Amino acid sequence: MGILDIRNVNIRYTTQDGDVFAVKNANFTIEEQDAVGIVGESGSGKTTLAMAILQLLPGNAIIDGEIIYDGKNLLALSENELNKIRWDDISVVFQKSMSALSPVHKIGAQMEDVYRTHDSSISRAKLKEHVNGLLETVGLPERVYNMYAHELSGGMMQRVSIALSLLNNPKIVIFDEATTALDVVVQEKILNEILDLQEKFRLTRIMITHDISVVASTCNKVIVMYDGEILEAGDVDDVLLKPKAEYTKKLLNSYLNIV
Amino acid sequence: MARYIGKRAITGVVMVILSVCINFTLIRLAPGDPIRIMAGTDNPNQAMIDTLTKKYGLDKSIPEQFVMFLAGIAKGDLGFSYVSHENVVDAILLKLGPTLMLSLTALIIAVLLGTTLGILAARKVNSWWDKFLCGISYVFDSTPSFWLGLIMILVFASALHIFPTSGMVNLRVQSKGLGRILDIAYHLVLPVTTLVCIQTPYYFRIARSSVLQVMAEDFITTFKATGMPRKKVFNKYVFKNAMLPTITVVGMSIAFLFSGAVLIETVFAWPGMGRLLIDSISRRDYPILTGIYFIISVAVATMMILIDIVYGIVDPRIKHDQPST
Amino acid sequence: MKKFFKAIADFFRPQSPSRKAFFERVVTAIKRNAQLRIGLILLAVLLFVAFGAGLLTSRSPYYMYDDLKQAPNSTYLLGTDGLGRDVYTMIVYGTRVSLMIGIVAASISGIIGTMVGAIAGYFGGKVDRFVVEFINIFVMTPSFFLILIIIALFGSSITNVMLVLGLTSWTGNARLMRAQAISIKERVFIKSAKVIGEGNWKIMFKHVIPNGIFPVIANTTMNVSGAILSEASLSFLGLGDPNVVSWGQMISHGKTYMSPAPWISISAGIAIVFTVLTFFLLGEGLKNVLSPKLQNVQGGE
Repeated sequence: MGILDIRNVNIRYTTQDGDVFAVKNANFTIEEQDAVGIVGESGSGKTTLAMAILQLLPGNAIIDGEIIYDGKNLLALSENELNKIRWDDISVVFQKSMSALSPVHKIGAQMEDVYRTHDSSISRAKLKEHVNGLLETVGLPERVYNMYAHELSGGMMQRVSIALSLLNNPKIVIFDEATTALDVVVQEKILNEILDLQEKFRLTRIMITHDISVVASTCNKVIVMYDGEILEAGDVDDVLLKPKAEYTKKLLNSYLNIV
Repeated sequence: MARYIGKRAITGVVMVILSVCINFTLIRLAPGDPIRIMAGTDNPNQAMIDTLTKKYGLDKSIPEQFVMFLAGIAKGDLGFSYVSHENVVDAILLKLGPTLMLSLTALIIAVLLGTTLGILAARKVNSWWDKFLCGISYVFDSTPSFWLGLIMILVFASALHIFPTSGMVNLRVQSKGLGRILDIAYHLVLPVTTLVCIQTPYYFRIARSSVLQVMAEDFITTFKATGMPRKKVFNKYVFKNAMLPTITVVGMSIAFLFSGAVLIETVFAWPGMGRLLIDSISRRDYPILTGIYFIISVAVATMMILIDIVYGIVDPRIKHDQPST
Repeated sequence: MKKFFKAIADFFRPQSPSRKAFFERVVTAIKRNAQLRIGLILLAVLLFVAFGAGLLTSRSPYYMYDDLKQAPNSTYLLGTDGLGRDVYTMIVYGTRVSLMIGIVAASISGIIGTMVGAIAGYFGGKVDRFVVEFINIFVMTPSFFLILIIIALFGSSITNVMLVLGLTSWTGNARLMRAQAISIKERVFIKSAKVIGEGNWKIMFKHVIPNGIFPVIANTTMNVSGAILSEASLSFLGLGDPNVVSWGQMISHGKTYMSPAPWISISAGIAIVFTVLTFFLLGEGLKNVLSPKLQNVQGGE
């Protein structure tokens, strides 16, 4: 048994036109300190699946199955129990980093608020030191602490999001298309930093992406999704060198064509 | 920030000058001869007409009259009423108190009530409670204020005799001190209730829709993901973001308070600015009309700058962004 | 958008398959949106009363009977007013006046708003800055005050009332259209139209306005409510057209007889609430139904 076990997970959205299945019978296990890439085109269900782990899906989503973390089925927990696991054990770096924080509150203050949600005993000075330390770790200047989201560039806000995700020293971090919106140079830099951070914080990492090159360069495991189904899963080297599914071959070809 | 405020201040001054200009020209271009009304008889003698024309500077051309008017404003003098011959500033100040008492009381209650209900409805969106409040707000939004006022009088004054039909004080009992305050408060109940019924839906809808909008923002998902309790996310982050539109709207409403609630003051015979306005229109009392218009323009311009300052404090984005239209 | 026009064209072509589809889409939109559904029912009632006035009453709203201030009875369904006119007949014929004033005034504001907004948004630059500043200043003038002064000083004919109400309420429409034009002009099909050599004005009328009109339509429907309320207020203050029967005037007249004959004001007031509510619900419904559809249309291009 790994750190995170996805068992027979089905996710559907109820709409006025009937149910729409987003994820069909997903099964996989993530080992500690794995770097797992979930790859697929938009609409393949990859983000839905990842967001289901912390139950961040909209109200009309219905999740069946089990998501086991630390011996507990996350899907069976109450809101309060789940809130203890959120961020303390599993955190997320969201795709739209520019709007990931409140526009009318300072970045440092919001980060401190998040930290205090899980540890209210820390002193003010210590907390500030911790937040500033994290900002420094992701390569941001100290003044960011007193700045607002709109005053930062997309790349800087992405770093803030990464710092935010590390705030409570989680075991697992989910990166949801975390570098998609950035230009290639910044993307490259941030991906390298993510690799360093994984080492430093001993993280288990889930990378949601449509870009198979990101998986190739930053992950050791890969899950290929198409139309809500997992087509194949395994070590990056196996899957990318000897793809079994037609779709995986297509994904690889289009990537190779670009290169 | 200072530069931004400065820029807005200049826009404000331009706005005041422009609107006074338009108003002045419009009123003078209108048909109807104020001299005849002033003279008070159907066939005034020529000497009287000449004296009055000269006294009020009506023998001069409209541009000359405008310059005289502007020179007066610079000295804090808005001229004299054609009808009562009072100083315009005094006449307006006399009515300003009752108007603010009525309209400001109603505004404060409507804003607090509307915003609270709007937030409650948004938190339970699509519940029967939300639907009920939305339905009520549609009905009151469609109700003419003056008619609601009449119904209030019919029910609570004429039929039930709980409240007085009109006026601000009981003229038969000239009370002083606390008695007078209570008397005024007693007379305030019906007009204030009417205004609150009419205005609350507006603040209700603004609060409800902006809370819903903020709840759909990405950062709400972030906070949810961090495990922050819903209550805290709402009280701290949703609230501050969602209150921004209400601030703007309340600011503008305060500015327009000065013109009074014309219809409600008419229905309840409340001695405020609205009544003064209506009376001045029917009597062609140009100096009063221009004076009221000037005061409203100044109030609007001032409130606009104040709103900007408040916004600068609560919304950090303002310092950089151009104000959106 | 072409699809939309095609859908409309197909709809009128006999026995086309998309006619059924279009109907279905309209029906689902109405089914899903309660405001629109209720609004349409109320509108049908209003239109029936307005057009079928002659069927609903054989009396004239101006005829003065000898029975003054009669309470509602079988002869006078809603009683008579202080001059002996039949209140029921006045309400029925007042529907025409209110609808006409509301619709004409709102249309004036819709047309001006669309034109000004489209020009400002599409051409941008100095024209845009001027329009935006103008609207900013215009919005800050107390409009009801302005309407009062103009009507009081220049006469209160029904034409004047409609014109003034239309001319003072277009800024909201202009803002909506401007925002639409700004986003539409960046899209590929506008750019390709430019490359083909279509003139700016032609592009504006053929592409920008038809694509961006939906929010303006919703807002204009809402403005009908505003105009009806404003007319009633003017009439109540004695500034309505004395040559027509309007609900506002009935309330104003009934105010004098509030205790002995409350039915005059009460029935006229209920008629106003009913009508204003109709257009209010329609406008809200249209806003909710049209905006997602609009996004579909934009995404489909």
